[in-house]
Order: sequence, then C-alpha cells, then structure tokens
Amino acid sequence: MNELALHVPAVADTAGKCAPGLPSSFCHHHSLSGCVGGNGLFCFGWAVDNFDRYVTPFFRHLEIVGISVVAGFVIAMALVVLSHRYRALAPPVLGFTGVLYTVPSVAFFFLLLPLTGFGLTTAVIPLTAYTLQIIYRNALAGLANVPPGAKDAGRGMGMTAQQLLWRVELPLATPEIIAGLRIATVSTVAIATLAFLAGAGGLGQPLYEQNGFKTNIIIVGALAMGMALALDLVLVLIQRLVTPWRKARTW
Amino acid sequence: MEAPPVAFRKATKRYPGAEQPALRELDLEVSGGEICVFVGPSGCGKTTAMRMVNRMVEITEGDILVGDTSVRERSPSQLRREIGYVIQQIGLFPHRTIADNIATVPRLSGWDRARVDARVEELMGLARIDPALRDRYPAQLSGGQQQRVGVARALAANPGVMLMDEPFGAVDPINREQLQNEFLRLQAEVRKTILFVTHDIDEAIKMGDRIAILRQGGVLAQYATPAELLMAPADDFVEDFVGADRALKRLALTRVRDIDLWEAPLAHVGQATSEVRAKLDGAEVPYALVIDSERRPLGWLSDDDLLRETVPARPDTSPEPTVELDDVMRDALSDLLQAETRYAPVVDADGRIAGVLSVEIVSEFLTSDEALTEEHSAAERAITE
Amino acid sequence: MAESEDVVTVSLAFLHAFGGAFDFILHQREAATKGGVAVGGPGYIWTFARTQLEVSAVALGGSIAIALPAGLVLGHLGRGEFFAVGFGNAGRAVPEIAVVFLLAAVIGIGLGNVAIALGILGLPPILTNTFVAVRQVDRTAVEAAEGMGMTSAGVIARIELPLAAPTIMSGIRTAAINIFATATIASFVGLSTLGDLVTGENIYGTDGVVAGAIVIALLAMVIELVLAGVQRLVTPRGLTLQRSREAA
Repeated sequence: MNELALHVPAVADTAGKCAPGLPSSFCHHHSLSGCVGGNGLFCFGWAVDNFDRYVTPFFRHLEIVGISVVAGFVIAMALVVLSHRYRALAPPVLGFTGVLYTVPSVAFFFLLLPLTGFGLTTAVIPLTAYTLQIIYRNALAGLANVPPGAKDAGRGMGMTAQQLLWRVELPLATPEIIAGLRIATVSTVAIATLAFLAGAGGLGQPLYEQNGFKTNIIIVGALAMGMALALDLVLVLIQRLVTPWRKARTW
Repeated sequence: MEAPPVAFRKATKRYPGAEQPALRELDLEVSGGEICVFVGPSGCGKTTAMRMVNRMVEITEGDILVGDTSVRERSPSQLRREIGYVIQQIGLFPHRTIADNIATVPRLSGWDRARVDARVEELMGLARIDPALRDRYPAQLSGGQQQRVGVARALAANPGVMLMDEPFGAVDPINREQLQNEFLRLQAEVRKTILFVTHDIDEAIKMGDRIAILRQGGVLAQYATPAELLMAPADDFVEDFVGADRALKRLALTRVRDIDLWEAPLAHVGQATSEVRAKLDGAEVPYALVIDSERRPLGWLSDDDLLRETVPARPDTSPEPTVELDDVMRDALSDLLQAETRYAPVVDADGRIAGVLSVEIVSEFLTSDEALTEEHSAAERAITE
Repeated sequence: MAESEDVVTVSLAFLHAFGGAFDFILHQREAATKGGVAVGGPGYIWTFARTQLEVSAVALGGSIAIALPAGLVLGHLGRGEFFAVGFGNAGRAVPEIAVVFLLAAVIGIGLGNVAIALGILGLPPILTNTFVAVRQVDRTAVEAAEGMGMTSAGVIARIELPLAAPTIMSGIRTAAINIFATATIASFVGLSTLGDLVTGENIYGTDGVVAGAIVIALLAMVIELVLAGVQRLVTPRGLTLQRSREAA
C-alpha cells in the first residue's frame, strides 16, 4: 500500500469515536457522536458550514471543462471541414480519435507528465482528446443526413462548394453536432474529477482529501452531476435557439 | 431582359467506363421565350441533356450555347446564378424561411436588402403564394405550396433560361394539373426560355411549345411541335411512345376557351323558383345553375329544390367538377368522366361563370377534328408519293 | 535559437523518461526510498496488472449479468424507454471516482466490494445499448417469428439477441473500458492495481510512474482490440452483407 492513499477502513463500530480517516483536528471541532463523528450518509449541518471550501474547486472544474470542450469542438470541427473535402481522411481520423479515447485518463495524465509537468495543460490535453471522437462522428453523421435535394438545388443555383457547406450543410447538421457536444460535455465533467491527479485541481481535489467522509463524497458528486445537468440544459437551449425550423411542424 | 435561345451543337456526354454515350450528338435549337420539353423513356438522356446546360454534368464533346456564348466560358457557379433550376424533389432549404429560400440567388449575387425584399414580394404574388407563408418554414407547407416556392426561387434573380426536371412529379395528380395551368399562365407573363424534362408524354404535349423525344442511348428521335408530333410521328418508336390514342391526345392541344360552350339558365339565391322554371323551358342545358353575387357557381338545382318557393343558398347538387377556361380539353373531359356527370360549369380565372361544358360538346369536337386529321394526312401522303 | 533548443531539450527529456520507463518494465531495480527492496521488472508489474484485470473482469461479468437480461426484456416488451435511455445518459454524468469512494465508505474495501462499485459503473452503457439495439431489430422479422409460433423467450434468444449483438457488444466495450480505467484508481481504496505505480513516485521514481502509465494504456488498447474482435465474431454474417449492400 503506498503512502499517498488514505486508509479507508471497513465499516466498524464508530460510536463515540472520531471516525477513522478524518484528521484529528477535525474531530476536535465536532461532537464525537452525531452525524460527522459517526460518518453518517449526509450531514446537513456540516455541509452548510463548510460549503465555501468547494467554491474554488467548483469554478476550477468549470474552467477545465470549458477549455477542454471548446478546444475539442474547434479541433473536431476543423477536422470535419477537412474530411468533407477529402473523404479519405474520415477513417484514419475516426481510428485515431478512437485510440485516444481508449487511453484511460490516469495513464494519459502521467504519460504527459515528462512533457508538460503538473498543471492545467496536462489535464486539458487528454480531456480535449476524449471529446474529439464523439463530436467528429456526430458531425459527420449530421452532414450525411442533409437532404440530397437541398444540396442539388444549392449547387444548381450557383453555390460554390464552400458556400454550400457553410450556408446549407453545416446549419442542417447542427442538431447532430450539438447532440455530440452534449455527450462530450457531460462526460468531460465526470472525467475531470480526476484532473487533480495531474495537479490541476477541480472537484476531485476536495473529494480525494477526505475520501472516507460520506458527506464530502455526496457533495462533490452532487456538484459534479449538477454541473453536468446544467451545462446539458444550456446546450439544449442553445440548440432550440439556433434551429428554429425544427419545431415548426404544423400544417 | 430578352430570353436568350439555347442551342445544342452536337452535344455529347460519355461517362468513363460506359460503352454507350448517355447523350449522343444532340443538335437542336430552343428559341428564346419558348418551352422545349425533353421527353423519353428512362435512360434516354433527357435529364443529362438538361443538366449539361448549367454544367451540373460536364460536356464531353460538342457544345451548348446560351445566347451567343458557350456555357463553358464562365465558371459553373457564375453560370448557374443566371439560370433558374427546379428539380423534382424541390430541394427547399429546410432551415430557411420561405422568404429566405426565394431570396437565395439574389443574396448570393449581392443585391441589397431593399431590392431583395421587393423582389421576394413580387415573386410571391407572381407564383400565387399566400403572403402569410412568408416567414414559415418548408416543413409547414403542403407539397403544392412547396413546389410553387421552388419555382419562385428559380425565378428570383430574373434569369433568361430556366431548367425544370420533372418539377411537378412529386405532387398528386389533382394539384399537378393546377400547377401546370398556373405555370403556363406565369410563362405567358414572363416568357423565359424553358427546358422542361418529363417522362409523361401527356405533360409534354400540354406544356411544350416544342418537344424533343429522345430514345434510349441518348439519341434524338424527333424534334417538333406537339401538333406535328401527333399528326406525323417520325418513326415507330415515336408513334409507340406517343401512344395509340393520338386522337384523344389532341384534346390536350385545345383549351376550353377555344370552343363554343353551352349556356345554362342561371339562378340567384333568393330568386323565385317560378322565374327559374320559366327559363328552363327550351334551354340548351336542362338544369339551372345557382350563382352568387360574384357570379360564382354554387350548385345545380334539383327537382326537389325547384319545388320550394325561392332558390336556396345551398342547392342539392354540388357544382363540381368545375372546369376552368384555361384547362386543356383532355383534362376537362377526364374530370367529367371521373365525376360521372354530363355537365360541368366553366369558370374564368376569377371563378366567375363563363358557360357550361358537356360530354357531347367534347365528342362533337373530337369527331370533327378527327375528320380533319384524316383529310390532312391523306393530303400529305398524296404529295409525297 | 532558444526555441529550437527548448524543443531539443524537451524531446531529449521525453525520450529519457520513456527510456527509463521501458527499463523499469523490463528490469528489476532498487526502490528509490525503501532501500534494498526490489521493484520493477515484468513479474512485479504483472502482480498489479493482474489485480486490476481480475477486478475488472468480475465487475464486467456482474454488469453484463444484470444489465443484459434487463435490456433484452425491456427492449423486447418495448417498455421503460425513458428509464433505459435516461439511465445511460445519467450514467455518463456520474463521476466514477465518487462512486468508488462512496461504496468503499459504505460497504468497505476489498476486491469484492470494489468490484461491486465498478460493476455499477458498467450498467448504464450495457443497459442502454441493449435496449436500443433490441428496439432497432427489424420488426417484420420478429412478427414473422411470432407468427410461426415462437415463444417470447425463443424470439429474444434466436432473433433479437443475434441481430442486436453488434450494438450490444459496442456497449459492453464501452463498459469494459470505463471499468478498467476506473480500476486504476482502485488503489486509493486499498486494492493494489496499476494505479499504485502511477501515484507512487517516491517509491518507484518517475520511471515507475511513466512505466505504469504505459502499461495501463497498452492494456486498455489490448482489451479494446480483443473486444472489437469479439464484436466482429458475434455479428451475424447476414447482417454484414445487408449493411454493405445498403452502403453501396
């Protein structure tokens, strides 16, 4: 057992004792019996008192996710535009981004360590890489679903290939692109809980520091899932705004 | 702008790896402002020929001229912005409103906002599109409405030439008839040079000023006016393709407005039925037609109706089928036969009563013309022998 | 000038680290702190890898045992779409590390308990993919089978399962990769997996850390390849032919 891991005990009788795994200083400020001392499932009082310790990690987490998803989106869409022109690019790009996705985040962080050291960059690079495949694949599927009549009419009316792509094909592929973006965002929020291993902070940090204390775990879990849900909703709203023609189906 | 002529100069299309060319040395000239219909069985190259004009298909040998210039002289995008293009699937952009769809080419060509808006309004009126649909999306329109938008869109930048590939194919037969009539009315106003592709010989005869029949392998079999085609088919293939009922097909060449119609006694709502009964004596048509204040037909009076005091607002028998003056005789006869009625009210473009058509009128017309045909061809044969 | 020097320095450091890592994998050496204890070498690394693979396999097995039948039945009946698909979507939002820690705090540590935590993580992709795959099976084939008098169980086993197999396998692949990746950090809850190497710089040195990372990445790719092969095996030949015809 290595020294970095905190010892997490098996369930044992903890009545009257300070819950193992908690620093003793902790126990001096709370009653030894009661929720915290007994490591109850969720100690509301403690949560309210200590909420501010999660603020910085939360925003840091948001920052990490934001940078990764935006960077991933930009790179993936650049690849899409290229693949649209040069069809042969699609299989190798799909293959490569798939391989990237297979590498577990922990391994990815530590493989980058000699290059980029501890910090934000080391966390962002793998997270960005993970978003590439889903956005790329969804965007290509969206482009494939553009009605052929619209493309033929567009070309026949004198649109160049570029004009057709930007004015007709990509707008019509937007729903699929955003669907991929949603999946990528939600996954990134979850995986970013490991970013602390790369020295980048985020919600994983407070989680790890008191990983035996159930209330702490629940709070971090709730914050992460809440963030994922909120970002997902924002993207759904953006999609509704940007594709007004989809709900117009009445006649 | 004068609509330019389109000339095919031995235009040929060969696809790599194919034994036969898709289009073989097509040589014909479409006069400015005329509709030329390309018709033939599948594989005859009619769509290929049309799409070579706007270079959606590149010419292998020979040339195509629009006006005096070869289509090869400009870039494809530039060329296409000056040629209207209507396809069977219509191909409206689902993510743009009707107004935006129509405005596509003007915007691509850099017109300013005010000019574009004015043009869109003008075209919606021309193509008879309800102004309320302006900001709707294509998914909210019926097939017929979408097709009208497609035509309006093609006309937006005021091109001299229009290419239409089975434009009314995706619409049901009733709407198709209406769209065809409306389009012919439109063409009478705008007078573009139109290349129209169809597989339906009846549509070709109805729509075309001239018809180019192609046989399989991309070879031109005959290029002639509809009348010539019906009266003097060039060979067995053309004769077969046109169909054994050539005489009946000639009905498509005449419009209802061209023949003498019968008159029916007219009745107004609220009029005393005794007056109406008096009119019925000795009338050409033994039934009275009820019309409203705008002279639009509301229905036929039945014997029961006539027993009442005054003419009812809702007569027993519906006025349908109603025939328009602009309809071709063939469609009118088909409507009569389908509804199994003897008489149909004929209305003008505003829906006002203009006369009554009956099956007898049509058969009279048929027989008299047929007699004419026999004489005509007999005379021709005599000369060539 | 300085820029190209930086590139060279970084590249050299990179190669140096990787060189050292490969050395760690292949040969035994002394530990950095605990003098005299031998670390490194294939056998040593294998003990960690083996634990990780074992716990992953158990977890995956359990996950399949629960989610596959559930997905098949729900898909066959056409019920519970909201749950089956929603569960998959929600599952993506769950931070795996939190589940591991929470379950460890609630039910304790040890291979079995960690396997339970990991198994939970594998449920969403398998359930959702199975459900969707069964729903997408050609309805006419199912109706024909029912018309011939096949029982529900028969239809599921002989028609729906084989036709849904490729998509189901894809879900199992996703679950397997998720489980294996999370098993890395099971070292935080007392299980000796490859995560030990990666987080134990003071014992194993930078070489050991990078070596751990390399082994994790390689094993993950091997698992992915093996399961991809299984997926191809499990795809009925008729389906492949149909798809290539449609694509043509």
